[in-house]
Amino acid sequence: MAQARLARREHLTGWAFIAPALILLGLFMIYPIIWSLWMSFQVGKGMNFSFGGLANIERLTKDPVFLRALGNTFTFFIIQVPIMITLALLFAVALNDSTLRFRGLFRTAIFLPCVTSLIAYSTIFKSMFATDGVVNQALMAVHIIGSPIGWFTDPFWAKVVIIIAITWRWTGYNMIFYLAALQNIDRSIYEAARIDGVPAWARFRYLTIPMLKPVILFTTVISTIGTLQLFDEVYNFTAGNGGPSDSTLTLSLYIYNLTFKFMPSFGYSATVSWVIVVLVAILSFIQFLIARDRRTS
Amino acid sequence: MNVAPMTAAATARPIARRTVAPGKAWALARRALVYLLLSIAAFVSVFPFVWMMIGATNSSADIIKGKASIGTALITNATTFFTQIDAIRIFWNSAVIAGVATVLTLVVSSLAGYGFEMFRSRVRERIFALLLLMLSIPFAAMMVPLFVMFAQARLVNTFAAVILPTVASIFIIFYFRQATKAFPSELRDAAKIDGLKEWQIFFYVYMPVMRSTYAAATIIVFMTNWNNYLWPLIILQTAENKTITLIISALTSAYTPDYGMILFGTVLATLPTLIIFFLLQRRFVEGMLGAVK
Amino acid sequence: MNRIASRRLLGVALAGVSFLTVAAASAGEVSVWVWDPNFNGAAMREAAARYTPTHPDVTINIDDSASQDDIRAKLQTQLLAGSTEGLPDIVLIQDDVAQKYLQSFPGAFEPLSDAIDMSAFAQYKVAAATLDGKSYSLPFDSGVTGLFYRSDILEEAGFTGEDLQNITWDRLIEIGTEIKAKTGKPLLDLDLADSGLIRMMMQSAGAWYFTEDGSLSIVDNAPLRKALETYASFYQADLVKPVSGWAEYTGAFTSGEVAMVPVGVWITGTIKANADQSGLWGVAPIPRLDVEGSVNASNQGGSSWYVLASSDNKEEAIDFLKTVWGGDVDFYQKILIEQGAVGSLLAAREGEAYQATDPFFGGAPVWQNFSQWLSEIPSVDYGTFTAEVDSAVQAQLPTIIEGGDLDAALQAIQDQAQQQMQ
Repeated sequence: MAQARLARREHLTGWAFIAPALILLGLFMIYPIIWSLWMSFQVGKGMNFSFGGLANIERLTKDPVFLRALGNTFTFFIIQVPIMITLALLFAVALNDSTLRFRGLFRTAIFLPCVTSLIAYSTIFKSMFATDGVVNQALMAVHIIGSPIGWFTDPFWAKVVIIIAITWRWTGYNMIFYLAALQNIDRSIYEAARIDGVPAWARFRYLTIPMLKPVILFTTVISTIGTLQLFDEVYNFTAGNGGPSDSTLTLSLYIYNLTFKFMPSFGYSATVSWVIVVLVAILSFIQFLIARDRRTS
Repeated sequence: MNVAPMTAAATARPIARRTVAPGKAWALARRALVYLLLSIAAFVSVFPFVWMMIGATNSSADIIKGKASIGTALITNATTFFTQIDAIRIFWNSAVIAGVATVLTLVVSSLAGYGFEMFRSRVRERIFALLLLMLSIPFAAMMVPLFVMFAQARLVNTFAAVILPTVASIFIIFYFRQATKAFPSELRDAAKIDGLKEWQIFFYVYMPVMRSTYAAATIIVFMTNWNNYLWPLIILQTAENKTITLIISALTSAYTPDYGMILFGTVLATLPTLIIFFLLQRRFVEGMLGAVK
Repeated sequence: MNRIASRRLLGVALAGVSFLTVAAASAGEVSVWVWDPNFNGAAMREAAARYTPTHPDVTINIDDSASQDDIRAKLQTQLLAGSTEGLPDIVLIQDDVAQKYLQSFPGAFEPLSDAIDMSAFAQYKVAAATLDGKSYSLPFDSGVTGLFYRSDILEEAGFTGEDLQNITWDRLIEIGTEIKAKTGKPLLDLDLADSGLIRMMMQSAGAWYFTEDGSLSIVDNAPLRKALETYASFYQADLVKPVSGWAEYTGAFTSGEVAMVPVGVWITGTIKANADQSGLWGVAPIPRLDVEGSVNASNQGGSSWYVLASSDNKEEAIDFLKTVWGGDVDFYQKILIEQGAVGSLLAAREGEAYQATDPFFGGAPVWQNFSQWLSEIPSVDYGTFTAEVDSAVQAQLPTIIEGGDLDAALQAIQDQAQQQMQ
């Protein structure tokens, strides 16, 4: 009896803690979400739309621009997220070493990119990667390349610049989460391991990684969402057109164009938005699955 | 005192016995390598920032031509910036929006994150999964209906309309939930035995213990709100209500942008987040467990 | 600690006026959205200063705190949401996107041709804002194009400004090749993310991406084909400095890295910002395409004033536009001198400032020239899908400049645009 009442109270307390958030989310998200879901079944331009059933989904499959954007977005995700997560983790672990000097300085420096204004950073990245920019000059000086790379005119290298840029901007950001999480790890365990002669890499692999797993999962899911919604860099680096040849066009930029630049076709742009939702659902599911597997093994 | 780390340490030990302790020279070399890599990373990270500050001292024409040394136009840029923009008003707007949003977000979202992790039930797990999905809906898809809502509530062009949709941040709820996994449940049990109510445990035990998590979240939430662009752009209508992020963005699209003045503005606009980061990053050093013991 | 801080902050915030209250526009207050404080914003302020003394009951409230993209995003969101709250009375819209708004949101804008005589303006501007026999805008700045050139570089290669008069683009490529050979400088700088030059060439032949009934015209569009061919020739003759983005684009010609820039007249301010280059610049009419009907005049950009139908101050707004923008010749002299804004009011061309010469451009009567070219610009119907076709064109540019098959490229543009227009 008493136990049942306790469980009931636990139950109610649980609701009480999440109630403020749920109420706000209900107010500001449920209606917009239902609306955009409903819109994704509408066809038409501007204010004249009508129910089109699955017409938008059919249009997706035939839309070369959408398919290009999907491919690009996926490329960015597959290549960029692992690189960034690994770097962020390494920096965090290095900076968590209490014997390291100038830690505050290094931390601040590596965090700086995500507060540096988008305007300043896109301007300087563009000038650095210009055909006669400093990157090409440096690469030519050390004979890695014979002639300048057209970073912004070649579809392949344009993707590379975007990947470099987002890694540059968001590594420090992800590092913050790891640094904070590392504080939650009991130092004495490291001490014990060190006294036992456990080498650094093993401490990292068998102590740090398992204990950071919830946060690693968090940053991975967040970065997945962030990359699938990638917009700022491509918009600012390519004057909003995802060039050259749509090689840096992302789903989010395409949504923006469909909504604001082109003849407004809101139904179709809502459909593309839901593609991102479905992708994130699948990818996050896989990521949670992987995280769970490791826990049991 | 913590169960999970002990098991992890236990699995690590057998390996340790098989490994020879590394020599001193090797340790020294490794340390040097760490410094070298961190220095390179720091340089690459700081470079555009420094360039931005140098740019703030140069005239627009010099910046376009690629001048990379400190110039003499700082005063001119500052004067142009402050005469063209009602800077105090605009920074005040940004500070109020980001400040209020940060405090509300931290309270509401950490409560929820804690609630989801500590009090699990099947229904709430489902809701949580649903929230994660909602997080991935691009904002552009929800903007029009959201605008309709705020227009009906007659809140267009108010700070409340900017702040309210951001307060229950699924992102931060998720973050707190993941971070709570490291919160020692013994602490909660002990507090319960001491007769503390659940909300008291949250405010008097959880919050102080999770300081580094709150520090990280403060930085992230403040920065996100300070830099927030699309929603404030749509919902704020008059110049005197706009944020610094909106104003600077608009400056860049002039036919003849004054880059010197713009970079001066971006340096100023970066400072608040940077100061908050610098003040809070110490929290990452202090650690939480020392404070509890 | 958190709670106390939040309460204090909230208290401070509530003291601010805008936390929960909407500043309602009062009667007689005409609000205007512009996007460049030093250009159209400044011109609008000058117009307001001329109007309000004689109309003390009207105040004109100019908001220049948003970029052009911002204004488009805001307009579009609100018109889609069907909520006009907070929208201004007058808004500035670029000519080539005007039809998109007029046709997507019928009834959102107020027709002006009933109240204002549209024959007083450059007709290609009026045509851009005309739908079903009514014209919806008061034409503002013209995007009349010119070939801005560095006379010193030209002379170094043995040419003068005379050699650039009434030529074709093909001839310009020959000249450019010689300039490159003698001075080592590229002829111009181009950004693959911007198809402005191609559109400029196309309009000089009175053509656009569409036929008269609004359907797509790509594969059989001779001027477009010739324009793309010319564009590719620049690259194949190695006459281009490739750039990316506005800063780099303007940087290349303001620092003397390239010899010329064919562009809309609104660039004048950017060029003249480099006072040390005074006397080194000249402006020639832009070359024409070697196709039938092409003239040495075209347009790039340019925008006009629109009155929102939801406005509470429609009468005041229209009267203001009519009085100053539709009749004050002296006003147009002032904004020409101060902002370099070439208006579309034909009568303004007779004013003093338009007759003056400019030492920056070697003492040439540049404004008279521009007015002359302005009157020669062929009218085209920009249609509603220019942005869609633009992005289809841009998607093909890298292939085209590498010497790719033009027929295949045109077909690809046609296919993509067709798909996007459904």
